[in-house]
This record gives sequence, C-alpha cells and structure tokens, in this order.
Amino acid sequence: MLDIGLNHYMVLSALVFALGLLCMVTKRNAIGILIGVELVLNAANINLVAFSRYQTGAGDGHIVAVFIILLAAAEAAIGIAIFMNFYNTLATIDVDRGDELRH
Amino acid sequence: MDSGPLANIWMPGGEELAKLAPLWGLVGTIVAILLAALVIGRNWRVAGGVAMAGALATAWLAWQGLSRIDAGWGGMAPEGAAPMLVVDQFSNFFMLLLAVFLAAVTWLWFMGQDADLPEREARRNDATEFFVLVVGSAFGMALMVSTTNLLMIILAVEAASLPSYGLAGFRKKNKLAAEASLKYVLFGAVTSAIMIYGASLLYGHYHTLDLAQIGRQISVQGPSVLMGVALFAFMVGVAFKVSAVPFHFWCPDVFEGASIEVTTWLSVVSKAAGLGLMLRIIAVVASELANPELLQYVAMAIAIMAALTCTWGNFSALWQTNMKRLLAFSSIAHAGYMLMAVAIIWQPSADGASGALSPAHPAFSAIVAYLCVYLLMNLAAFSCIAFVYWSTGSESIDAFNGLIRRNPLMAIMMIIALFSLVGLPPMGGFLAKWWLLAALWDAKLIWLIFIAVFNTVISLYYYARIAVAMVFRDDDRPPIRAPIAGQLIVAACGIAIVLTGTLWAGKLKEFSDHRSRDLYAVTRKAPTNSIADSSAAAISFDVPDQVKGGDGKID
Repeated sequence: MLDIGLNHYMVLSALVFALGLLCMVTKRNAIGILIGVELVLNAANINLVAFSRYQTGAGDGHIVAVFIILLAAAEAAIGIAIFMNFYNTLATIDVDRGDELRH
Repeated sequence: MDSGPLANIWMPGGEELAKLAPLWGLVGTIVAILLAALVIGRNWRVAGGVAMAGALATAWLAWQGLSRIDAGWGGMAPEGAAPMLVVDQFSNFFMLLLAVFLAAVTWLWFMGQDADLPEREARRNDATEFFVLVVGSAFGMALMVSTTNLLMIILAVEAASLPSYGLAGFRKKNKLAAEASLKYVLFGAVTSAIMIYGASLLYGHYHTLDLAQIGRQISVQGPSVLMGVALFAFMVGVAFKVSAVPFHFWCPDVFEGASIEVTTWLSVVSKAAGLGLMLRIIAVVASELANPELLQYVAMAIAIMAALTCTWGNFSALWQTNMKRLLAFSSIAHAGYMLMAVAIIWQPSADGASGALSPAHPAFSAIVAYLCVYLLMNLAAFSCIAFVYWSTGSESIDAFNGLIRRNPLMAIMMIIALFSLVGLPPMGGFLAKWWLLAALWDAKLIWLIFIAVFNTVISLYYYARIAVAMVFRDDDRPPIRAPIAGQLIVAACGIAIVLTGTLWAGKLKEFSDHRSRDLYAVTRKAPTNSIADSSAAAISFDVPDQVKGGDGKID
C-alpha cells in the first residue's frame, strides 16, 4: 500500500509548476498564457496546503490558498476583459499580433 | 458569549484601527465615489470632485499620522505576535506621497476634460470607474509598503496591479491602449504567479509567513539552494513593479499606450510602491540575519540589477521620439538609481564584529528624498506633455518645437524639470542624486558611483535634446494654450524643484531623515517570538484547541 506523504505532493506541485511555465513560454494565444498562469497558481496552492497539513499544522497555508484561489479568479476576470477589448480592436488574441508599440 | 472556535481570536481595538487612518481614507474614497454615482448619478465632475476630496483627506490623515506616530512599528497584532500590517513613519510618508500625487493626477485629469480628444465622451461617461480603479490601485500600493507578511504582500501587489491593468486599457477602441493593457496583464500575471509560487516555497521551507521569522530561520538553517530559488522567484514580482531589468518590458509599452493621466500616475507611484516593498523586505529579513556574507551576495545582485536597469533605461531612451516612451525609459533609469541605494541599506559593521549588520541611514534617507523630488519632476514633465498633447494631438518631440515662444512659462518649467531629471544643480534632482552618491561612497561601492555618473552623462543627451527642440528649433507652430489652473500646477512643481535644490535643501534632508528613521531602526523593535511557536503566530492568532482534532492535528 502506497503511503501518500508530503513528498508526493511536492513532486506533483513541481510538475504542475513546470507545465504551467512551459505553457506560459510556448503559447502565443493570450488565453493559453492565462491557463499557464492558473497552473502555476495551483501549483503554489498544492504547496501551501501540503506544507500546512504536514508541517506547520497551523492552518495558515490553507488560508493563503483560499486567498490565492480568489486572486486567480480576479486575475482571470480582468484578463479576459482585456482580451475581449484587444479582440474587439484587432480581431485576434494572438499576442504576437500586438506589435504596434515597438521601436 | 465565548463559545465557538473563533472566540479567542485577537481583534484590533479602536486605537490600532485609528493608526491605519490613511488606509481608511482610501477605502472610504472608493465607497464615496460609488455611492455618489448611485445617489447623484454618473457625473464626471462629482466623481472627480469626490476623488479629489478623498485624496486630500487621505493626505491630511497621513500628515497627522506622521506627527503622531512616535516610536513607530505599531503592528496590527496582539502583544508578541508578528504583525500583518505595520504602521510607521515610512509607511505614513508613503501614503502621504501617494495621496498628494493622487490629488495632483486628479487635478490633471480635470484639466484634460476640456481638451478636444476623440475619446472625450467616453472619458466623461466612465469617470466613476476610472477613479475607482485609480484609488483602488492607490490602496494596493499603500498596503504594499505597510506589511511584512507574505500573504499580505501577495494581496497588496495584486490589489495594486489588477486596477492598473484596467487603467492601462481604459481608452477603449484604441489600438495602442488595447495592446498596452494586454502586454501589461500578461506580463503582470506571469510575474505575480511566479512570485506566489516563490512565496509558497518560502512558506514550505521556513514554516512561517512572517518575513522577520523567515530571516531568523535563514540564520538558523543557513542558506540553501531552495532558499535561493524561492527568494529569487519571490522577488520577481517585486522587480516587476519596480520595472527593474530584466522585468521592465511592460513599462515603455504601457506608458505609451495608456492615457497621459494613467502614465503619470503609474510612472511615480507604481515604482515607488515597489521600491518601498523591496526596501521593507530587505530591511526586515536582513535585520534577523546573522550571516553578513549572504547579505553581501543579495546586495551585490541588487547592485548589478540596479546598474543594468539604469544603463538599459538610459541607452534605450537615446533614440526615442515619443515623449511618453522617452520618459518611460527615463523612469526605468531613475528606478535604477534608487535601486542602487536599496543595495546598500544593510552593511556588515565596519568594526569587523562578526555576524553584525548595521543599517545605513543615509541610504534610506536618500531614497525618501529621491522619491519626493522624483514626484515633482515627473509631475511637471508629464503635465507639460499632457498640455502639449491636448492642444496639438501629438506626443512626439517635434510637438515641442519652439515651445519657449508658444508657451514660455511651460517651456521654462519643463526645462527645470528636465535639468532636475539629469541631476544638474541647483535643482532638487541634483541634491537627491548627490545624497545617493554620498551613500554609495560610504558603502565603498565605487564602481556603482562610476556607473551612476556615466549614466547621468548619457541622460544629459536625451533630456537636452528636448530642451534644444523647445528653445532652438522653432518652426512657427501655433501657441499652446493651457488653462490657468494647469499652468499653476506646472509652475508650482517647477518652483518646488528649484526650492528643494536650494532653500529647502535642509528641510528636505531633515524630512527624509525623519521619515526613514523607523524603517532603519526596525530591527530592534521587531517582535521577538521564539522560533518554535513561529508558525502559529504568523497569522496573528493561535488556532484554538477546539479546531484541532483529538491528536492535536488539523484534519
């Protein structure tokens, strides 16, 4: 029987972080980058909850995780509003198409 | 009465809450703007007026706080626990700076209402949202400089950033604004996500959210690779706010794409808040650090970052033709100068006592003085750009040709601001830079002084280019008309710049010495919890026994 412990969660978190980072770097679609950001935030949440559960036992990590879920929602809300605005003016959300501001 | 698991949570009393008066002022302003829109209707004069009144009230509260806060470090926490919010001279100074600048930007916004712009109707219709976002970002920035807790830092950075993204794209249907806000939100989201991941690693490694206790744990456990990675990831988010190289890419694009009021707002306070946060993080963590070698690595990293930021900003500014973009690079360069002082706020003791670190007061003081003067210089320069843009519709340097004839007062004040940005006497900018270099000299960072002076020489070229266009390149453009109230703000800034460099020099020195005193004395007053109970105290209340399971663990 496999005993799930802190290390498993840490590996999972590192994996999710790496995937999120890869997503942020390779995607050229704004929504894709936002999904990468969400993955990294969730990796941080896994970390926080796991450390809080297995190490400190005080529950403060859980509290931080709840706030970060909230932040992710707020960030997605304003991000998607801005993507909509970008789409309305340029009819695309490919970030490479935004190249007016370059000297 | 005292049943339930939350019964013995510490609650702040009236006295503690009163110390946060400037923060209440900002929150109250947001509520008042929204209520005014509800009760009176969507009127741009009302929205702007309420924002102006709120900013002035906040400035007054912060000023009162400055004279009332004595020993500083009044933390929002029960006795002996680590505070989540801190109140001291530095945080109150910063809120004063923020509120004064908020009032100035609101004033500038009012001036722009009569300008004949394509987005004029939208500006008036969306005034309520605009000011809620501006004051909201001000609130986030105020939080950034008044906390030493990882959770609060994350929340504060996001509270400052999210409204700023919206502000950058506030000119709807404008291609440049849409692109600027897209870049801003993506870059900001990526850096803040990395920062939050770094914070989670710090929490996991040191089992606490409090920076002072993290510093103490680093002393006990010694440096490690994980610590380096976590600290670096955490500082990415802060460096983004300061727009330090290599996290500066958003800055010129956002400054060019956003409307002029937003650019003015972000150019000063966003960087100032980032610097304040960075200053406090380093001051608090280092105050608990027993190993000066580690700090020297950190200081060296910041010094190199400062040198790169400064040089990159100045070199990129050389061939800019858009004034907003040029001043964006100039603001990156100035962030670099201020970062130089951040690198030297802690120094190993000169007498060679082992394990002893001492804070360098001149460095703190130089940053405060620099911020004061920087506010004046940027306000004057951006106001001039705003008035030229509003009457010509152009932001390029050519629009400034012959300004000395077209509007002599504005041209003279612009030249004062530009010379002050270079750091020429007798302007305030010279004095601020002089104190900075003196602090660097004390810290024996001679190579950094060379870089700062070298950069000043480079910057002379592009600032002088604007002055030359204004004075010598007259091609018979029509005069620039600006409202009296607008001329007033530019003139007031210009005069204040000259005065801070001459008659008020002593006052400025005294002011900045006093405002920075607490932050540098923070070390001796930080709460002294033992490491063992650090985790529970970090969220400033102990988990009651009822919450814990029978075996004392949370399930």
